[in-house]
Amino acid sequence: MLYMVNKSPLMTHNLETCLTVAPKGAPILLYEDGVYGAMEGTRFSGRLQAALEHHPVYALEADLETRGIQRVIEGVQVIDYDGFVGLVEEHDVAPWL
Amino acid sequence: MKKVVVLMRKAPYGSVYTAEGFRSVMGIAIFEMDVVLVFVDDGVYALAKDQNPEKLDMQPLGEGFPMLPEFGVKGFYVHQPSLETRGLSVDDLVIDVELLDDASLAELLANRGTVLPF
Repeated sequence: MLYMVNKSPLMTHNLETCLTVAPKGAPILLYEDGVYGAMEGTRFSGRLQAALEHHPVYALEADLETRGIQRVIEGVQVIDYDGFVGLVEEHDVAPWL
Repeated sequence: MKKVVVLMRKAPYGSVYTAEGFRSVMGIAIFEMDVVLVFVDDGVYALAKDQNPEKLDMQPLGEGFPMLPEFGVKGFYVHQPSLETRGLSVDDLVIDVELLDDASLAELLANRGTVLPF
């Protein structure tokens, strides 16, 4: 399943629990305030870097640009809306709201 | 005259809080009340440079803050631990701010007395 997270990992535990629950190999999509989880140099970055060993992680480009996030953790795949639609078509979705 | 703190703790585009806090602080300043802005937790993201919400068809929120002193806003304060936790420094922000540690943040809130949360 595709796990989708839209809240900041520094204000909620949504991304943390998602990474705990999601089985190895499950793709993680960060969108809206969830894209702060893709930012380099934050208190959460180490946790996400560790998750990249087990999951493909995607971040929505429009949400990164909106928030001025330019330093994205290496290995996170930045996707546009077409990529977003492609992922949702390809997988069943577990919205981790 | 009341001394007001507008306390911003939410990230900018994921909710209406930042935009509404901005509107409120303008309104308070226009009525010549003594108001300062304080950014804590994800609120510090509101001041990040290079925000571009064009693809979301929204207004950029960060670039409005530097004009607030013209409307009478007397100070901009940022909780330094919140900034550091997010991998940001003052160079990443759209305006010059005064940094606060935990104790000086608590002291500022206590000295001003009226805290409006956004």
